[in-house]
Order: sequence, then C-alpha cells, then structure tokens
Amino acid sequence: MTIGVEKELAELGRQNGATIGRLLANGNLGRAEEGPDGRMHARIRIPPDELVWDPAVLILPHGGDLELELTNDDMNTHCALLPSNGDSQFIWLVNHSRGTASLNLDGPGYYWYGSPTGNDEGRGLIGAIVVMGDAPPEARLDRPPQPRP
Amino acid sequence: MTETAEPYVNAGHAVDQVSLTFVAGSAPPVARNVTYERILGARSEPHNWLTYYGAYDGQRYSPLEQINTGNVRRLTPAWVFQCGSTGLQAGATTYSFEAAPIIVDGVMFVTGWDGWCWALDAATGQELWRYKHAIPFDVSLCCGNVNRGVAVAKGKVFYVTQNAHVIALDATNGKPVWDKTYGDVRAGESATVAPLIIKDKVIVGSSGGEFGVRGHLDAFDLETGEHAWRCYMVPKPGEPGSETWPKDGEAWARGGANCWITGTYDPELNLLYVGTGNPAPDFDGEVREGDNLYTDSLVAVDPDTGQIRFHYQYNPHDVWDYDSIAEHILFDLDGRKALAHFDKNGYGFILDRTDGQLIRVFPFVDRITWGEIDANGKVTPKVYPDKEGEPVHFWPGPAGGKEWTHAAYSPKTQLLYVPVQDVGATATRRRREFKEGIPYWGAGVAVDGEDMAGSVSAFDPRTGREAWRWRNDVPMCSSVLATGGDLVFAGKPSGEFIALNARTGELLWQFQCGSGHHSSPTTYSVGGRQYIAVPTGWGGWVEGFLPGMLGAPHGAGLFAFALPD
Repeated sequence: MTIGVEKELAELGRQNGATIGRLLANGNLGRAEEGPDGRMHARIRIPPDELVWDPAVLILPHGGDLELELTNDDMNTHCALLPSNGDSQFIWLVNHSRGTASLNLDGPGYYWYGSPTGNDEGRGLIGAIVVMGDAPPEARLDRPPQPRP
Repeated sequence: MTETAEPYVNAGHAVDQVSLTFVAGSAPPVARNVTYERILGARSEPHNWLTYYGAYDGQRYSPLEQINTGNVRRLTPAWVFQCGSTGLQAGATTYSFEAAPIIVDGVMFVTGWDGWCWALDAATGQELWRYKHAIPFDVSLCCGNVNRGVAVAKGKVFYVTQNAHVIALDATNGKPVWDKTYGDVRAGESATVAPLIIKDKVIVGSSGGEFGVRGHLDAFDLETGEHAWRCYMVPKPGEPGSETWPKDGEAWARGGANCWITGTYDPELNLLYVGTGNPAPDFDGEVREGDNLYTDSLVAVDPDTGQIRFHYQYNPHDVWDYDSIAEHILFDLDGRKALAHFDKNGYGFILDRTDGQLIRVFPFVDRITWGEIDANGKVTPKVYPDKEGEPVHFWPGPAGGKEWTHAAYSPKTQLLYVPVQDVGATATRRRREFKEGIPYWGAGVAVDGEDMAGSVSAFDPRTGREAWRWRNDVPMCSSVLATGGDLVFAGKPSGEFIALNARTGELLWQFQCGSGHHSSPTTYSVGGRQYIAVPTGWGGWVEGFLPGMLGAPHGAGLFAFALPD
C-alpha cells in the first residue's frame, strides 16, 4: 500500500502536480532571533514558483514584539496579512520586492498569516507563527501541578 | 538570498488593515464622564445602555416607549453593520456575534468574535474605530469563538479576549491603555464574559469549565489595570465548602465553576450576584463525590474584597452540565429584596437576595426528566449517566431549559420573560484521565436533533405561574429585551427578529435578518429617535443547544431598527 507514496508526496510538493495549487502544511521551519532589547527579528521569503512561505512555520520563543523582513522572490505579486495585537498588518509584495512589518503577539499559541489576494491562501500561501512559553505566573491557577499530554 | 541581481522594489512597511478602510479612527469623548454614579443611575438616562444588562439589576428593561404596541408594525431597519472576516480565525465554524451593544450618548461600543471590538455611530452605523486583538488559532474554546460585550467607564472601553486577557482601550480611538492576562490558556482557560464596572474596579470571570480548570472571578483597578483580587469558586482543601469535594485526590483542583456570564449588583447590600458553571468532569460524578461547591450556584460576592458572603446551589453534584451561570435579575417582590434565576435544569427560582433563602421554585419548561425539585428546594435526581458506556436520555439537555441568553423583567408589567429551550440529550459516560488543556467531559453527548420546541414565556414571580407563552417550533436561543412600550423583543434561530406584546404574548412584528440570533438586543435613542439594536450571527455552541440547525446561515450583521423618520 505504500508503493507510490513518495511519488505522490512529490506531486503534492509543487504547484499543478497532484493538486492545482500547493497543498497546505508545506514548507520549512524557522526561528526568530531575540535582540538585546528583547525584540525579536525574523525573515520570511516567498521563493520562485513554489507558492510557499519560507519559513512556513516561524517559531518565537515567547510573546512580544517581532520585526519581520518580508521578501517576494516569486515572479508573481503577492501580499501578506499578518496577525498583531491592535490590528492585522497588511503589506503588498509585488514581484521581486522587499518590505518590513512590526508585530506584537501574545504567547502561548499559534497564529496564521497569509497572502489574501486571488486564492493565494488556498493555493499554498498560509503559514504559522508559533509562540512558545506559558501564561505569566500571576495568571495561572492556584493548584498543584497537573499532568499534561 | 536573491534570485536576481536586480535591486528589490521597496515594499515599505506593513500598515494597519484598518487604514485600508473608510474608518475615521476616532469617536467623540462620550465615555469620559461615565462614572460609577452614572452607571448606578443608568435607568434614569434611558437614551443610553450603559452597562451589560442596561442597569445593575439585570432586568434588561428600558423605559423607552417611542416604539410601542401601537406602532411597532412600522419598525424598519435604520442601518446594518457587517463584519465578515479576512483569512483564518480561531473557531472558524463556531464564531458567533453574541454581544450586548453598549450605547453612550450616540456612540455604540460592541465586540465580535476573534478579538474584535468596535465603536460605531449609533445613529448611522458608521464605524468610528476598531481594535483587533490577535487570537491564537489554537486557543481552547469549549463552545465557540464568541464574546459577550464591553464595559465602559472613565473614558475607557473594557473587554476580554479569547486567550484570557482583559484590555482597557481609549474610548476615543481604540488604542490600548492597559492589557492584563488573567487566565492560563495552557490549562484550557479562556474568556468570553462582558466585564462589569463596580466602583473603581472592572470585574471579569473565566471560561474553561469543560477543560477541568478551577473557576475564578477577578477584579482590576480600572485606571491602572492593577490586580485587586481573585475569588476562586472551588475552595482549596480546608477552606469553607471543601468538605463537599473528595477528601483525597485533586478533584477540587479541576472542579470547574467558571463565571462566564456577567453578574448583577445591589449597591445597597454591596453584593455582586454571580452564577457559576458546571463541575468538571461534566458528566462523570463518580470522580468528584459530594455537592461540589460552589459549582452551579448563585454566589454573592463582596465586590470590594472578593469575599464570598453566601451561596445557593441549584444543582448539587451536577452530572448533566447544568451551569447556573445565567443572570440573577434583581427586583422588588412586594417590598422584599428578591432575585430571579432561570436555571439550565428547567426550574425558575425566586430567592431573597439579602441571604439567599428560597422564596419560590417552579418549572418553566415542559419536559424535565433528570429529576425534580420540590417546593422547599429539595433536589431529587432521577436520571443520570452513572454507568460506564450506558446511554442515558434526559430533558433538558446540557444547553438547558434556558441557556446563558438572558431573561428580562418589566417593572411595568411585573412579569419575567424567558427564552425557553425544550430539547433533550443522550449522555453516555466515558471516563477519561485528566490531562491539562484537554476537554474533560467524562461522557459522549448527543443533543436531540428532533422532537424539540421553544417559546418566549412570561411568568408572574409572585406565583410562579405562566402568564402567557409565545410558541416556536424550535428552541429560543437569544436574550429577550423588555421595553416601556409594552414590548418584548427576541430573535429566532431561523433569523426573524420579533416583537411580542408584553401583556399577551401576541406576535406584533418580525423582520428576517438572514441569520439566526444568539445575542442580547439592546435599545437606546439618539436625537429623540429610539433604536433597537441586535447582533445576529448563528454560531457558538449550536451543537449543544440546537444541533438540528447546525447548517443554518452563519451571518455577521448588527441590525439597528427604528420607526421611519
């Protein structure tokens, strides 16, 4: 039953293979770097003809401020709608362009980001920002430590 | 890494999404002079709806009478505020517009799902500003992506987020003033409640009763956000009430009793009346023997200190998921300080609010099979899921004979108006090991998709007798609103917003809003014109209260109705 899986996975890993666009949950994982001021920094790129964010999953060590550099190396125009406390952040990313965004996010949990133009999101350009950590001590329940999955 | 030697086009810096709209970004400073004293006298300024229930007493009654039984047939939409969503969101298929709009001198403050908060021009529906908190996609939500509204005071708008923050915004521009975390999302906590202002504090409760948390109420200084107190609704070992939990083990630590609906307040007694949620696990009572205080209870709290003064438990040792979070309506009963509460268990209670003594108890829904409560308040369970793997059917189902959506009381007619849900459910006990952040029900539950009914029913609190009933073919799942025009407004799951004669229950008017109702309508006036505002948007825990309509249109519109100019 497993014969052909690798071939099918390869077909799923590109546009107009098995699917019309690019199946979600593709792409690389990256980590934000924390500066001495506590602000985090990361770069996200759209490679040519792949319809995927790189990294598609960005890990933040904790909640707080994130400075993002966004690069569109694709041969088509995209954009980015990014989660941030206060309001979502929007930027156009025409072919071969580079811009920046400032985000503020709580932790823990994960947030989506995407390219809300055409059907970019359905065709692959959805990514996640994963914020690690715990709720602050003052917000936690007064009870003995409990088992977790 | 570049793919070409050509320099990049400068895409600039990302902008707020709101900058790509026509939203002005500012509102008149109407909230600056909203003080505790003004909220105390809220009913004396009926052009406003200053606090969640309209006034501290929870009556959901407005003396406004421009719209009345004689002219309500001419009621027409004045404006509609629509808010669809962009991209993915938490609880994507369970979002629901559940708020009670607050109105201050022509400005409406209202929340949506997924962290939205808006200021609108209450006469035109024009959006004045917005604040959008980013909500984690994976936040634990037992019952949908919802929020029940804001509190307003001292120039600020207060609301909670699904990831358990309480936030103060500048009421003139929606910019954050302070932001505090008061729940642990890794433990399964969340927040949906509309805050309540009492004196210098903003008071909020926690959600998460289906995840085995320990419910609590918190107070913050409304100016600074400094935490003032926390009141746990399940006692620790050794505290009063702890004798109602197993002596050994940690059932108390996972006991539930969340306060996810706004309380009511008697300033003379200085008592805050809070309803608490189900114990956890919801249906497996064997792991938490005892009455399980203060789950499913009225808890009277001193708002200055967070100390519990007294309680009345509606469902000792609940194994039907009968939260008692629903409102406690404060009213005068022949000179006696009374309160009314319609519980999920299908009984209406009239209590003395000075000490919690029972005055009267009566059934308000036709089918009650889980057990019975006699005239003295004695509870006798009859049907419950006590055997592993054995299905048990009971009425009302876990959503209750009445859900969280609110009843109303008209001091003019002296009647209580109740949205009634007559729908049963089958629970099959399935024990599971507790793990933090994982649903902890202790059963598989299927709510009936057939053989159901609903109504808006009027009751005389002096006798417990039903004065009239307006029947619907499915449960009624929205709050009701009573007005000085002798009208009762309610929303139907099938989308119609209706007006009933408050004295007879006669249907006088209806308008199809295009989506079912699961929110709290309010009323106000601007420039002498009365409006009725109702958020629509069918969602939330539909599988719990009306699974037979899970396929109904979702919607996301706030309607304001008025008489023609």
